[in-house]
Amino acid sequence: MPSVVALPEVATVKRREFRSTLPALLFLALFFVVPVISLLLRSVLEPQLGLQNYVELLGSSTYLKVFFNTFMVSAVVTIVSLTIGFPVAWTLAIMPSRWAAIVFAILLLSMWTNLLARTYAWMVLLQRTGLINKMLMGLGVIDKPLALVNNLTGVTIGMTYIMLPFIILPLYGTIRKIDPAILQAAALCGANRWQALTRVLLPLTVPGMAAGALMVFVMSLGYFVTPALLGGTSNMMLAELIAQFVQSLVNWGMGGAAALVLLVVTLTLYAVQLRFVGDESEGGR
Amino acid sequence: MNTTYASAVFAAALAFSTSAFSAEIVFSSWGGTTQDAQKAAWADKFTTETGTTVLQDGPTDYGKIKAMVEANGVSWDVVDVEGDYAAQAGKNGMLEKLDFTVIDKSKLDSRFVTDYSVGSFYYSFVIGCNVDAVDACPKSWADLFDTKKFPGKRTFYKWSAPGVIEAALLADGVAADKLYPLDLDRAFKKLDTIKGDIIWWSGGAQSQQLIASAEAPFGSVWNGRMTALAETGVNVETSWEQNITAADSLVVPKGAKNKDAAMKFIALATSAQGQADLAAATGYAPTNLDSAALMDPEKAKTLPDQQTASQVNADMNYWAENRDAIGERWYAWQAQ
Repeated sequence: MPSVVALPEVATVKRREFRSTLPALLFLALFFVVPVISLLLRSVLEPQLGLQNYVELLGSSTYLKVFFNTFMVSAVVTIVSLTIGFPVAWTLAIMPSRWAAIVFAILLLSMWTNLLARTYAWMVLLQRTGLINKMLMGLGVIDKPLALVNNLTGVTIGMTYIMLPFIILPLYGTIRKIDPAILQAAALCGANRWQALTRVLLPLTVPGMAAGALMVFVMSLGYFVTPALLGGTSNMMLAELIAQFVQSLVNWGMGGAAALVLLVVTLTLYAVQLRFVGDESEGGR
Repeated sequence: MNTTYASAVFAAALAFSTSAFSAEIVFSSWGGTTQDAQKAAWADKFTTETGTTVLQDGPTDYGKIKAMVEANGVSWDVVDVEGDYAAQAGKNGMLEKLDFTVIDKSKLDSRFVTDYSVGSFYYSFVIGCNVDAVDACPKSWADLFDTKKFPGKRTFYKWSAPGVIEAALLADGVAADKLYPLDLDRAFKKLDTIKGDIIWWSGGAQSQQLIASAEAPFGSVWNGRMTALAETGVNVETSWEQNITAADSLVVPKGAKNKDAAMKFIALATSAQGQADLAAATGYAPTNLDSAALMDPEKAKTLPDQQTASQVNADMNYWAENRDAIGERWYAWQAQ
């Protein structure tokens, strides 16, 4: 077992690497961890010591609705992203590499463009007098403009667009790793194309899907700009609520409480994600 | 001899460092065309007159002001804030008292003056309407709340602030002089009747975009934004019926580093000329009563201070007392 021999060496390297990251960790602790903790502390200190902010937050139907919205929007965005992302990742994996490179460039370019600019672009496209509605009406498909923005539809479209690369890239990696011979073997064993897809291919891509989906879900939970611009007030998400408490109402106790709830949920999901990604890399080795 | 020399150097260095510090103040406002106009009308002139550089920052953020004051690291010397916030923050100890030996308040519109703030400019919530996009334009708040006579989307200010609740009550038939204390139950009940038809605007530019594109062809907007939209060639109509006034205020956060220069800056900003220049550039009204005389009469006619016939004044003191309670209820109602 060569890995047993290599083990102490790896450990030393790891320790040395860790030491070299100390300045960065210290920086993070000072400028990120301390401020976050001080905000979270306010949630039990303001206006007085106690859990009153949490009681108010979790006891109000309005705020519970915001929690529900946050999870619902994140779930919808994750499902839509998977539905669109899977065929794209699949196509990319079997495309001639020259063409795949072009598609990748388009994907990455969209990620590098300013988020606010992209969101405003969607606003212009989706509004009642926007390009999409005008085109559909011109073609006679609809006779009244569809409500595509300032509601859940707008948020879903805008966020799915932003999240797609985060699902396509891990899925692409997973699919590329699948040996095409496995599909041949499935065919030889008498599986038709549908069976090959559902019984062989899909199960093999589960780790990639899980990793991508969790990443998208977790990122969506804390999203601010896109829901604020493309959503209506009745689908407010948690990040907007926190911004409102902190900036507009200047109620940092409630802001801190809402932030802690979001943090706990996100960290829990992150732990789940780590497990999945861990499993995947174990399997790959 | 040596000591004298050393102390002279030290004194010179000290003088240099203090002057270096005071040769700069930071002004925060809301960005966009309004802050550009404030820079041109006030900051550039202040620099020419006093040699003090005015650094522009923003957008104004009440959370940031709180953080700065609490941490005793205030980097904003003069801040443009909303009037209701100014009245509340003054009472909560977040602001410096203004020095009225430097700032002449005798000519300032007293509606917008407190111990801690003076009016920066004042605006009216008016009914703006894209004439080309609709059959008829709503003229009164009652019209704007009437979805039968005026079908389609309408736009209102998203944030909890004086304006929308007053409009709802006026639309429901409350007399202008009986508005305060605000009957919130009644206001929200009225707002419920059009909730599905409201598109909220969160910033001035968005209100212009909504009306120009006819996404929401009419709504309650800041008057200056309609003036600016008309200048770009959009056929807009402004109804001043029961226009609701509210003001922005200039304040100095508690513990600001350049308090003296800040007072001088505010003195210039609220002078007759400073206010006239800003009003000419923005379409908002001057808070200095002598400014109108310095302005082009044609331009002065379009400003809220000439539309007093049916004007309704939002009560900043009432808002200061109730800002938190109204805000919580407002956002809860929106989210439902």
